[in-house]
Amino acid sequence: MARLDRHLWPALTVALLSAVAFLWASPFLWTLVASFRPEGAGSADMASLLPDLHPTLENFRNALESGSFGLYYMNTLIVVVGVLAVQCVTVSLAGYAFARLRFPGRDLLFYAFLLQLMLVPPALIVPNLATVVDLGLYDTLPGVMAPYFASAFGTFLMRQTFLALPRDFEEAAAIDGAPWWAIIWYVLLPMAKPGLVAFAIVSITAHWNEFLWPLMVISSPANHTLTIGLAAFTLGAESGKEWGVLAAGTLLVMAPLAVAFIAFQRRFVDSFVFSGVKG
Amino acid sequence: MSVASTTSFDGIELDRAGLARRRRLRLLPYALLAPSILFLGLFTYLPVIRVAIESLYDKPHGTGAAASFVGLGNYGKVLADPAFRQAALNNLIYAVGVLVPTLVLALAFALAVQRSTRFSAALRTVFFFPSLVPLVAAASLFFFIFLPGVGLLDYYLGKLGIRGPNWLGDSDIALWSVIGLTVWKNAGYYMLFYIAGLQNVPRDAVEAAMIDGANAWQRLRFVILPALAPTTAFVTVIALIQLLTSVDHVIVLTRGGPSNATNLLLYYIFQSAHENFDYGKAAAATLISVAVLLAISFGSLRIMERGARGHG
Amino acid sequence: MIIATRLGPKWLGSTALALTIAAAAMPAWAQTKIEFFFPVPVEGKLAREMTRLVKLYNESQKDVEVTAAYTGSYDDTKLKAQAAAKAGKPPSVVLMSANFNVDLKLSGDIISLEPMLKADETTREDFLKDFWPALHANAVVDGELYGVPFHNSTPLLYYNVEHFKEAGLDPAKPPRTWAELADAAKKLTKGDRHGFLMPAGYDYLGWLMEALSMSNGGRYFNEEYGGEVYYDQPSMLGAARFVEDLIFKHKVMQQGVTEAGGVSTAFFAGKASMVLLSTGSLSFIRENMKQSYDVAFVPKNVRNAVPIGGASLVMFAGQSEDSKKAGWKFIKWLTTAETLGGWSRFTGYFAPRKSSYDKPEMKEFIAKNPDAKVALDQLPYAKPWFATYQTVAVRKALEDEIQAMMNGKKKADQAVKDAQKKADELMRPYVEQTSLKLP
Repeated sequence: MARLDRHLWPALTVALLSAVAFLWASPFLWTLVASFRPEGAGSADMASLLPDLHPTLENFRNALESGSFGLYYMNTLIVVVGVLAVQCVTVSLAGYAFARLRFPGRDLLFYAFLLQLMLVPPALIVPNLATVVDLGLYDTLPGVMAPYFASAFGTFLMRQTFLALPRDFEEAAAIDGAPWWAIIWYVLLPMAKPGLVAFAIVSITAHWNEFLWPLMVISSPANHTLTIGLAAFTLGAESGKEWGVLAAGTLLVMAPLAVAFIAFQRRFVDSFVFSGVKG
Repeated sequence: MSVASTTSFDGIELDRAGLARRRRLRLLPYALLAPSILFLGLFTYLPVIRVAIESLYDKPHGTGAAASFVGLGNYGKVLADPAFRQAALNNLIYAVGVLVPTLVLALAFALAVQRSTRFSAALRTVFFFPSLVPLVAAASLFFFIFLPGVGLLDYYLGKLGIRGPNWLGDSDIALWSVIGLTVWKNAGYYMLFYIAGLQNVPRDAVEAAMIDGANAWQRLRFVILPALAPTTAFVTVIALIQLLTSVDHVIVLTRGGPSNATNLLLYYIFQSAHENFDYGKAAAATLISVAVLLAISFGSLRIMERGARGHG
Repeated sequence: MIIATRLGPKWLGSTALALTIAAAAMPAWAQTKIEFFFPVPVEGKLAREMTRLVKLYNESQKDVEVTAAYTGSYDDTKLKAQAAAKAGKPPSVVLMSANFNVDLKLSGDIISLEPMLKADETTREDFLKDFWPALHANAVVDGELYGVPFHNSTPLLYYNVEHFKEAGLDPAKPPRTWAELADAAKKLTKGDRHGFLMPAGYDYLGWLMEALSMSNGGRYFNEEYGGEVYYDQPSMLGAARFVEDLIFKHKVMQQGVTEAGGVSTAFFAGKASMVLLSTGSLSFIRENMKQSYDVAFVPKNVRNAVPIGGASLVMFAGQSEDSKKAGWKFIKWLTTAETLGGWSRFTGYFAPRKSSYDKPEMKEFIAKNPDAKVALDQLPYAKPWFATYQTVAVRKALEDEIQAMMNGKKKADQAVKDAQKKADELMRPYVEQTSLKLP
């Protein structure tokens, strides 16, 4: 029995995992195959995962014609990086204040911060849109970014991270006469890097995928982010039932991400491992 | 909460000289918090106040009539609206229906890909990849997958001789199809957190259990799972936030239909504001939803705090 | 430029080059930039074609530069345009669903085009003379012109000729009545193939229910007053019961809601023998249907009557005078008989101008494509598209109930009753300010 166990279970596990992985990947496999399949909006075999014998690049050409994906990429990058950059500053400062400083109203303010966790901009879309318009930021990328510059989640995370750090280094630095900003920059942040990285991953993923808020704020095509451009494009292809073009467009969006992820996978996952994300 | 009304820099006593420095230090926390408070004020608190005020008025759209104060009338309207009740119920089913499988799968995947083999790395990529794709794109893909008869699902089910239901058009199933899509998209993302969490499971405890004769299942249940409690709490919080505030797939795939079967709270609000132009009602619905969400968030944060403290 | 770089120092050449380019790029007079929002809700490469048309316009003249933005479905376009307007940046021209004019006028979003007509020294009657009569009602609100029709459609019955032959039906004699439709569908249904299928997603379903209730002798709404709809009247009730029977009694249609994309795909794949789709899908189906097919009028129960669909060009409020002038110029260019004819041939939509059909290209096209002729022949039976106060919400009130019925959750009688109740409640604010406002 034991011998059977030793060989059977691992083999079964591998088989099961492979099956699940195949299931998980099937939408992408289809995307890959369909984007090269010649136009046939209604063949009964559209869903086939077997590649066509005469692959074509027509779909990609149509997809590229339909939207300036390069521009969308650029806009999305600006939003994502812009938000993250400002967030790093605000959450580090705020996290430090809550973790290391004592002052009247601290707990009250902290709970006020936590309110934002649930009051995310999409939930307050109507009034936030009015605010953005009042600030003159309608149809601009900063208008998309502004509501996210403060992050309760990030503040909470950084506070936890700082709280978990030993105080010896700070105290030593303080005794040496270092000002608060030097302590934060030179002592705390390097040690808190895993926390920041974890936050960065959450932030980047969230804003890369964001759709509803940018949809409401942006109207001119020049400012479209990837999600808006893709939605407009796929809605058109969808109603056009041009599945090949839809697949090609989706592939265009996913391919750079795939490459980046596969290349940096190790480092990416390692950062999670050391992030001390335990709570 | 410290009783002192002065600022102490973490127990290190400041020397008497430097009153100015002391004052600066007293203002320091507020200065550090200022940028965050500015943006929170503009985009969280101000909107809530605006929404609260707006919910008290009723301005019928396009009739030229002026806005009239209706007090809590809008709240009554919302709570009596069957579409709202359906959306609330759907959201509940959706939240549980996504959360449980996602967590289970995330943990299962994490356990499966722990090792540093090439196979594991490949698996990790496959499982995580869906979360890199914007929900909007995934929804369009799934529109095809769910297509009756010739879509990916029905095509292969057909090969097995099974006749698939109308995935998005059957009001009993549509919500579960949306749930399926969400699970597919999110499981890999939370898997990463569990991978990290697993690294912190104390090796000795696991080995001790093995020596004691515990099998894999018992090891999981009595050693690994408890050690992962903080991670689980953390992931639950993020997941809940995401689940209750993202409706991209509903917007693109089903638009709340068929007949409100996939209507979610946030989508209901979106509809009230932008299709029915009933801003008062949308505002009232927003406040109600927000109140519920806040209750849940405080609850889960309590758990998280306890988990963090417990882990030390 | 090459000469310059050869004869003089390098920098002189590049400066000359730069100046030349700058001079060429600067128009002799100011260019008005306007934004144009357009949806394309039916199948085909329409979005790309529209973008091409706009580029053509921009290149053909220097007065106006149009930035075209594709904004999704009809409903989405309305949303986006109104959001932009609310934010103070309204689009100049929007291609809007033909039946949103009442709604948009009531909410003050669009402007009357009468001033433009006056500036052109023409009258509304003269302007509309060339447009099909069925289109006039939706273009005019309260006696003023608000939209210029751009492309229009009616529902059409598409059927698979090979399936007909196989089932022993004569493809030259498509079903003309509801009875014949149910009968043919029963003969055509076999295995996982449905005899009949119709889209039931939002917007499409409302339109088709209007078609069915009209074919049943009735009206969906009061064409002259935006506060009344007739959901629980016999004509709509009969239509609802018929749809219900098709699913549950005759068992020829799939239960549940199928979106338009699913319906056309099923038709192509041979999984549906007859489908009710827009004439706007004509070209798309012609291109992609491998098996032989044909088209026919929407079957009648009491009479032949169908609503028009399609879109007109409207202009949003809040623009500058220059922007309005530019927008009107663009609209006129887009709606010449030639342009409309070309778009019609490309898409399958109707050209709203009668004169488009006098052009030789169009005559040739109709001769070569008899299915386009059938669509044209149904035009005399076309009537306005429903347009009421809160059109979308009132429409959804019906659609949600019918969708529930199609899922077996409600019977037809209950569905239309509930729909009427919901619709009445939605229209109450308007009604109370108009017909129920008594001295």
